[in-house]
Amino acid sequence: MDWAQLADVATRLAGGLPTTLLLVGQSLLIGFVLAVLVALMRVSPNPLLSAPAYGFVYVFRSTPLLVQLFLIYYGSGQFRPFFQDVGLWFLFRDAWFCAILALTLNTGAYTSEIIRGGIQSVPHGQLEAGRAVGMSPAQLFRRITFPVAIRQALPAYGNEVILMVKASSLASTITILEITGIAKTIIAQTFRPVEVFIVAGALYLAINFVATQAILYAERRLSPASAADRAKAAERRQKAMLAR
Amino acid sequence: MTQAAPTETAALLAENVHKRFGNFEVLKGISLTARAEDVISIIGASGSGKSTFLRCINFLETPDSGRIVVGGEEIRVRAGRRGLPVVSDQAALGRIRARLGMVFQGFNLWSHMTVLQNVMEGPVTVLREPKGEVRDRAMDLLAKVGIAEKHDAYPVELSGGQQQRVAIARALCMQPQVLLFDEPTSALDPELVGEVLKVMRDLAAEGRTMVVVTHEMGFAREVSSRVMFLADGRVEEESSPAELFGNPRSERCRRFLASVL
Repeated sequence: MDWAQLADVATRLAGGLPTTLLLVGQSLLIGFVLAVLVALMRVSPNPLLSAPAYGFVYVFRSTPLLVQLFLIYYGSGQFRPFFQDVGLWFLFRDAWFCAILALTLNTGAYTSEIIRGGIQSVPHGQLEAGRAVGMSPAQLFRRITFPVAIRQALPAYGNEVILMVKASSLASTITILEITGIAKTIIAQTFRPVEVFIVAGALYLAINFVATQAILYAERRLSPASAADRAKAAERRQKAMLAR
Repeated sequence: MTQAAPTETAALLAENVHKRFGNFEVLKGISLTARAEDVISIIGASGSGKSTFLRCINFLETPDSGRIVVGGEEIRVRAGRRGLPVVSDQAALGRIRARLGMVFQGFNLWSHMTVLQNVMEGPVTVLREPKGEVRDRAMDLLAKVGIAEKHDAYPVELSGGQQQRVAIARALCMQPQVLLFDEPTSALDPELVGEVLKVMRDLAAEGRTMVVVTHEMGFAREVSSRVMFLADGRVEEESSPAELFGNPRSERCRRFLASVL
């Protein structure tokens, strides 16, 4: 183990941090919007909406992200005349765009299932109460269904965020120089895979530590009353009962 | 508004309401007229259709036929696909629901909102009233149902009786023309029933128009202006509480009362 070199490797790899964060951040953001739309289609009673949503989720969850990435990046090249005709080639020749697209579609598919689970777990009575005060379907979704569903879905979504941070390393296979891409470059120059990958792994660990804390914080902020509060309330009730 | 026939001056009119679930006909033509300040109790055995009827009034269940008129506005139902009834005018439905305050057996408070937010939600989101005004009114109502000090608590932190009192304040904050109660005390521990019934008695005393599906015969007898006894999806007997409890005409009503009193 060469400590001086380790520090040097760490500095160079840290240079890939913004790229990794941007890659993950952008695809999570667009993927979340996509996921909400897909989840809404998925729970619709209209098969014209639910069937395509189901198909999309099925395909993207059941095939490897690496294959999706290669198909989008290399596959689009085979249809270059077509993409040029429709004026989209400038997007598909760009590795960054292809990486974002693949990651977005992938997280969109997974997250839509998480959100669907959340939507379906919203207690029926709370929806009836919303209807009973005269809420329109849109108001009901915005004020009741979505906020309750998101709280239910948050722990599972935290998991998805962590998976996405790790999945972003696959972008290195299509020339993107994020943390893993830079790591491979350094290894090609130094033939020191162990040191380099230890540092790269540590960087992912650090990102996910922060991500986990952020999700935990959101869970605590959003949960109506945290477990502790609930326990306290139960204790108070118990005491009141005994006092009587 | 339409030309008002005499009955349409009623706060709430339900006429010849039919409802079936599959092959089972739950409601075989039930009518109800509530004038302002009426308190109508609906009693009957489980399965008699009393809750379904109440839920048909604000279209939580869509009746197969019949009409519902609230404050002169009527909702029409038409046959949709697969013969299921649908309401054609969704906007009218929203307006009518906003005029009917509903209190559920299971409280159904919104779990992600505090007590105060629960009470303010309808007026602010549906009626688009200014927040400041609604907040003042909501706090007054919470004080009235005796739970003002809990306005920042979430529903999970409250007892069933407290939750139901919040639910009543939530219904009142919409300033509805009629309050509908669907077995409001049936999900409560026995020692918590009293606090909810007291709030309901106070509301009746101040002249609120109420339709109450209940198993509380004491409440029905002492508070109602009229009592309806339902059996097998029909109104078996309807009269003043003194008459219905003191001298029931139908055999079924007599048997029912004997079994619950």
